Amino acid sequence: MTGQDIVATMKNTAASRRVDHLAKGVFLAAALISASFIFLIAGIVLFRGFIPFLSDNGGLGRVDLFHFLTADVWLIGQTFVSNLYGVGYLILSTLFITTLSLLISFPVGVLTALFIAKVAPAPLAKILRTVIETLASIPSIVFGLFGAGVILKLVYDFSMAIGYQSKGGNSILATVLVLALMTIPTITSISEVAIRSVDKTLEHGSLALGASKTQTNFKVILAAAKSGIFTAAILGVGRSLGEATAVSLVAGGRRSGVSFDLLDTTGTLTTMMLEGLKETTGLDYDIRFSVGLVLMAVILITNLALNAVKRRVGSVHVKA
Amino acid sequence: MKKALLALVFLFSAVSLLACGAAATTTAEPFDGTMTINVYTRDTTSGTRAGFMAGIGFAAAEADDSVLVDGFIIKDNTGILTAMTIDEYGIGYISLSSVNSTVKALYFEGVAPTEANVINNTYGLKRPFMWMTRAEGDYPSQDVEDIVNAFIAFLGTSDAGDIIANNGAIALPSSVTWDSIKSQHPITLQDNSGVTVRFGGSDSIQKVAQALTAAFMPKCGNFVAEHDHTGSGDAYKRTNDPAIKDTSVGKDVGFASRVFKSTEAVPEAQRGQLAWDAIVAIVHLNNPLADVTAADLKSIYDGTFTKWSDLDAE
Repeated sequence: MTGQDIVATMKNTAASRRVDHLAKGVFLAAALISASFIFLIAGIVLFRGFIPFLSDNGGLGRVDLFHFLTADVWLIGQTFVSNLYGVGYLILSTLFITTLSLLISFPVGVLTALFIAKVAPAPLAKILRTVIETLASIPSIVFGLFGAGVILKLVYDFSMAIGYQSKGGNSILATVLVLALMTIPTITSISEVAIRSVDKTLEHGSLALGASKTQTNFKVILAAAKSGIFTAAILGVGRSLGEATAVSLVAGGRRSGVSFDLLDTTGTLTTMMLEGLKETTGLDYDIRFSVGLVLMAVILITNLALNAVKRRVGSVHVKA
Repeated sequence: MKKALLALVFLFSAVSLLACGAAATTTAEPFDGTMTINVYTRDTTSGTRAGFMAGIGFAAAEADDSVLVDGFIIKDNTGILTAMTIDEYGIGYISLSSVNSTVKALYFEGVAPTEANVINNTYGLKRPFMWMTRAEGDYPSQDVEDIVNAFIAFLGTSDAGDIIANNGAIALPSSVTWDSIKSQHPITLQDNSGVTVRFGGSDSIQKVAQALTAAFMPKCGNFVAEHDHTGSGDAYKRTNDPAIKDTSVGKDVGFASRVFKSTEAVPEAQRGQLAWDAIVAIVHLNNPLADVTAADLKSIYDGTFTKWSDLDAE
């Protein structure tokens, strides 16, 4: 290498360092912007959500926080006149519905993922993967329309067939089915990635020890991928808890009392926020931010709890 | 193996499609009067709900869910319409403009729910959309007064009628077009972009009122329309009540979704009707019921009647 070459190389390095610095700055700015939006949104919801408990709401009086969190009636008295709002029953039904939908979507999603990753022949796996990815990207309003047009009718006919009069199909069952349909693709695609990233040597070892293909799939591969599969479940739960549009079209807008009857109407925190939002004003509008605050707390607590469980479940030899 | 799996997938899709088809063609059972009435309603923020409940004599339920029958179902206008195509034993109400042949629209007190019967004032389940203005010479400026007068003239044209109909209400019949009368309002020829006209009153009329002013602004020198709708009671108070009309909440035009009370009397030139809002009780096509009274509907919505046979027994 001549002296000139060395100088040229050093110049290049200096130039590329400058580019590096610039790129780093741009990335940092992007990260700061996206992170600040989270703080901005959380901050505004937090601020506006607390107003009904702190101000006198234009003469209606402060909303009692304890009553709000524990009551089993959405509103006692007249809208725009009363301040006796409550979401206790909504918290319970939201959690109940989410659990039930997970009971359907988790096994179906994980088994589909196992089928795509390990059992299906390559062309079929490719088609199914595309189908699942498409399904995951369908907007929730479309699931809602499908729910209102098809699932409500199915649930109504089903309940009539078993001799029970449902409320036009608007029910926990319809809500759970819509949410399960929405969360299956999420759970499937993330579980599938987890299953595919299981170390091949584990699989080969199991097969070499004489385990059948099915034994290997269930006892070795699923066990090894359980951390990733758990993450899929957490994301599925997140989607169920936060879904508003689709649920509000099939839930029936229950205004009081927790019902565990699968064919009875129900309501969730999200549907309560959405219903009448465009028409209302004053405290009836502000209180929806408080419901949003409760929803954020429920999601946070659920996620923390599930992550704690996930840490205890642990992971086995998932390729990093 | 590969082919067998593909065949299985196709078979599965075919079976599920067939199952859907089969479910859709279940034959209708005869209507069973012993079934519970499923009561559908709009939520408490809805103007249609307020109109319906007032119309059936159950004003307490306009904004209060707790007086309604247990187990009611809350849906929006379209939600109630589609629910009545599924739920044989349901009853709900929607605005007349949304009614179609997939549901049965009930006669109210013996009168068919048609636009003609609303306009000739025989169909009762409806409320008028009224306007009221300030007194002559009591406006912030002559320009505002002239614009208000032009706007009121505009309300009586077929141009305004189309806008009202597009927003779900029923316009009063008119054959006058704006083009044929605009020359009587020279204010429309000048630039009014610096003039603000204040509209208020009923929030149920807000959507219609905003659509009307939005269409009228370009026809009238681009004046600025300021909408602040707070309820029918404020239509009179904020335009004519001496204690309020000149405060910061004063209005130039107020709307009310009911007839004006005797306590809200102003000269005839200062008030009028722009439209009707008609509401229709609807049931499933299989329901034999054809005609209801206000008392029937109140009994259904307050829970006195819980089974369909309760209506026949009366």
